[in-house]
Amino acid sequence: MIVTDILLDGLLAAVAAIGFGAISDPPMRAFPRIALLAAVGHALRFCMMHYGGADIASASLCAAVVIGLGSLWLGRGVRCPMTVLYIPALLPMIPGIYAYKTVFSLILFMQSLGDPGQSMQYMQLFFLNATVSLSVIFMLAAGATFPIFIFNRRAFSLTRRKIPPVRRKQ
Amino acid sequence: MKTQRELHDTLDFIATYASYLLGSGVHTSRVFRNSQRLGASQGIDIQLSSSLKNIILTARDTEGGEALTRVVGIPALPISFERNSDLSALSWDAVDEKLSLDEIRQRFDRLIDKPRMDPIFVLLTVGLANASFCGLFGGDLTASAIVFTATLVGFAAKQRMQAHGLNHYLIVIAAAFIASLCASAALRFDCTAQIALATSPLFLVPGVPLINGVIDIVEGHVLVGVSRLINALLLIVCIAIGLGATLLMVKDSLL
Repeated sequence: MIVTDILLDGLLAAVAAIGFGAISDPPMRAFPRIALLAAVGHALRFCMMHYGGADIASASLCAAVVIGLGSLWLGRGVRCPMTVLYIPALLPMIPGIYAYKTVFSLILFMQSLGDPGQSMQYMQLFFLNATVSLSVIFMLAAGATFPIFIFNRRAFSLTRRKIPPVRRKQ
Repeated sequence: MKTQRELHDTLDFIATYASYLLGSGVHTSRVFRNSQRLGASQGIDIQLSSSLKNIILTARDTEGGEALTRVVGIPALPISFERNSDLSALSWDAVDEKLSLDEIRQRFDRLIDKPRMDPIFVLLTVGLANASFCGLFGGDLTASAIVFTATLVGFAAKQRMQAHGLNHYLIVIAAAFIASLCASAALRFDCTAQIALATSPLFLVPGVPLINGVIDIVEGHVLVGVSRLINALLLIVCIAIGLGATLLMVKDSLL
């Protein structure tokens, strides 16, 4: 049952990544790898949150680092820069429900201005959801960019036809 | 050593190249790196400074020492990852194959003319993506099916409005309103209606500028990064307005 849940999560994430990626016109040859990265990343976040007890921000950070490293590894084969692979793969992890709840609680806050108790409750909900949305988005982007800082030589030459020679110690 | 004419031509071309890259949604440091690589392949040192609307470029002949500066506007192009890959590859080809400026320009024109993905294909995949997004958030099958339909309607409306060249913010408000209004049909059925409503306008979330903004900030291009984030935030506010209009209409059935 657990395995089915994880696989289903990965599958749905892969479909979501392909669809949301398609809006931004990625090269056709990159689609299978985008789907794979999204599935692995989202399934990892799912496992960490449901079975490992991690919170959404740290689970997103781990998943983003894995997606970033994966795009570095897979980018060479299709001659795509890392961002072309990892941005679509990160899109299904953008916390849409928290963003929605932020908006919804803001509307309810405005509607209940006359009742201080209730309006404070909605304000609290607003800040809670806004904080989660912002920190998850930051973790996603920063985590996936992190491998560029470590492996910058490889990351900058993924679209190069000629493979650069490995620099050896003299 | 370059003649004044050659320096002019190279700078003009690199200015177009850089503005196309930035316009197609490539993060700043990649644009700078690619443009400098392209300049180096022609024996010219390029330095850039960029905001969200303009780029300032200075080209300096590495042998003669002569320098030229230009300011170019960044065209508002749709985001394209394919162009990002192709143009990055072009800058490496220019170095590795020692291409002449004319050859680079010809290849650039060919890459720019490549057709985009078929709009109907994009429409269907976006519908499927949003439906599976609904599934990820715990929506049941009925809710996913409703989100699929709502997304098709909302995204098709967005495509039509874009073809008419309407203001971007208005498009997002209208599309969010249309999609969420269609999804509010879920309230009539016995399903996870709130999740359907919440997911329906999510195909409009500007994920690429959001992520690009953070990448720019992390890589030190803080001003451009913050501008990108503010831009994305405005679009999110537009989604909120469109969704909010629907929620105000149906909120009694949601509470």
